[in-house]
Amino acid sequence: MKTYRYYILYICVMLCTLLSASSCVVIEGDTLDDTQKGNFEALWKIMDEHYCFFSYKEKELGVNWNEVHDRYAKQINKNMTNAQLFEVLCNMLSELKDGHVNLLASFDYGRNWSFYEEYPLNYNDSIVNAYLGHDYNIASGLKYRIFDDNIGYVRCETFEDGIGNGNISVMLQNLATCSGVIIDVRSNGGGQLTKAHTLASHFLDKSVIIGYITHKTGKGHNDFSKRDTEWLHPSDGVRWQKPVVVLTNRGCFSACNDFVKCMKLCPNVTIMGDKTGGGSGMPFNSELPNGWQVRYSAVVYYDHNMQQTEFGIEPNIYVEMDGKDTDKKRDTLIEEARKFLTK
Amino acid sequence: MTLPINNIICKGLATAAVLLLSLCAFGQKGIGERTTSTDSIGNANREVMHSTTFGLMGVAAVYDSYLRPYIYADGVDFRIQRETARMTNLMDGRISNQTFLDVNIAADLMTDGGPTWYTGGIRYSQGWLYNFRDCNVVNPAERTTRRWNYAAGLQASGYLGGVYIDRSGNNPGQAKFDVMVNATGIVSYTFRCKKHRPLILSYQLTFPFAGAAFSPNYGQSYYEIFELGNYDHNIVFANIFNMPSNRHRLLLDIPIRKGELRLGYDIQVNQARFNNLEYNNTTIDFMIGFTKYFYRR
Repeated sequence: MKTYRYYILYICVMLCTLLSASSCVVIEGDTLDDTQKGNFEALWKIMDEHYCFFSYKEKELGVNWNEVHDRYAKQINKNMTNAQLFEVLCNMLSELKDGHVNLLASFDYGRNWSFYEEYPLNYNDSIVNAYLGHDYNIASGLKYRIFDDNIGYVRCETFEDGIGNGNISVMLQNLATCSGVIIDVRSNGGGQLTKAHTLASHFLDKSVIIGYITHKTGKGHNDFSKRDTEWLHPSDGVRWQKPVVVLTNRGCFSACNDFVKCMKLCPNVTIMGDKTGGGSGMPFNSELPNGWQVRYSAVVYYDHNMQQTEFGIEPNIYVEMDGKDTDKKRDTLIEEARKFLTK
Repeated sequence: MTLPINNIICKGLATAAVLLLSLCAFGQKGIGERTTSTDSIGNANREVMHSTTFGLMGVAAVYDSYLRPYIYADGVDFRIQRETARMTNLMDGRISNQTFLDVNIAADLMTDGGPTWYTGGIRYSQGWLYNFRDCNVVNPAERTTRRWNYAAGLQASGYLGGVYIDRSGNNPGQAKFDVMVNATGIVSYTFRCKKHRPLILSYQLTFPFAGAAFSPNYGQSYYEIFELGNYDHNIVFANIFNMPSNRHRLLLDIPIRKGELRLGYDIQVNQARFNNLEYNNTTIDFMIGFTKYFYRR
């Protein structure tokens, strides 16, 4: 009989534990509603609470996110396929015209690349390769060589590579005899911001304010932190003191956009080509109930004048590819840069 | 609203209840006679207890609104706990000291294509408890005459851990760090099974009371914090309201030969709400290990 009392005691203790533990759970997150409507609402809400450019996009593009919800909600029904849902969701995100806003499913990558697709490319890969030839050097992803007119040429295709101070210093030493250098970042889609800053720091003599940075502090569209100053300090390695031309096009996006922003503040640097593609928000990721990943801009970068660069940075000198030059396998932008540096 | 964490707890508790009841029955039949402290150690009557327990294949769920708005469930938890409890001379020997080291790692190991999230951390705590009965709270010999024992006190604890999601982007993970003063209480019940040495059933509840914790701000990137050094309320005052965590341990010490087999059930509900970010990491482990009692003057 006594043994059964023990069993009863154990059960009581466990029930108390259960009640205690259950009652203490207060933070659980949103409900996973993996339906067509549930995924639509989840995406809209994620963007509504986290996207950082609503106020700016409303001002520039007239995007009203609540109105967007009402308009696209009508297109959602429970019988639509995943492909159809994906298309509607991508269309909704495209309203923001942000290259950092993407929807990733196993079968497709939703994007709005109108920042460069709707403009002349001003870049021809095969022509650039012809300029580089076969005997160029590579310093951690940076391809470089010296042209016959003693102009150095550096092709930087991405900031995803591990570009370090050592690589850049050695490269600049090898180009030291040149009268000027061209840094070609056309169609550079970005990468790591720190790498972009590392490269730019070799063209500075003193620390400069390159911009301001702010992040969201709450769910409201205007809930932002104070704007913190962002500095760029000169590199400890080799610092280039001669003229520089940075070649840009609409394909310069994200970290590359920031690189151009920094280079525009450096002495002896001229930005030449087309306006950059922009992308001044730092992207974060989240997920929908069905597992699709969504990427969105979460942190805002301003330039040193506290202006947005989300839609690109103007060059100092506009130059477009000339069709006649293209026919002759000549790159108009490179040729104009060479003229500029040799005059 | 579906409550996945509660479902997990219910399933886990039901499993543990069955296991504990079974093991209790085993313990009553299989234990040997425990020697009393006065018989074996003379005047050395201050007890020291060392315990090492392992939690294998526990369940885990994690939710961090910095990473995504939903809970990650179906995780498997692995846990090691090392505990030392000793009576002190303070307040006529009524104060006991508890040192606790708790290490865990959890991941969704059952997911097709490999784990997509990981979480884990290490917690160290030092606690001082006042024993309401004039006996050692973990002294089995004295419990034969005083079945119920109660102790309550404070812990100083530090935690370092994190959550990582296997995806690209600027917010693939979240670091967790806190230094807290916890309130803790222990209730233990000692009972004999026929003429065998006594078993000890104990329950400990711990919850953070006040302290400091690390958290990024709502949309703040780690690049801003650690690369640019931009501070924005990243060390926050944590208290029972914005950090409503609670940790439960239900333990049964079964004497086997010269030591004790320890079976336990560990529930940890670690929660926080800082800078408009929400976090919940719930783990439930069935613990098994060994306990050893020593006596000193």
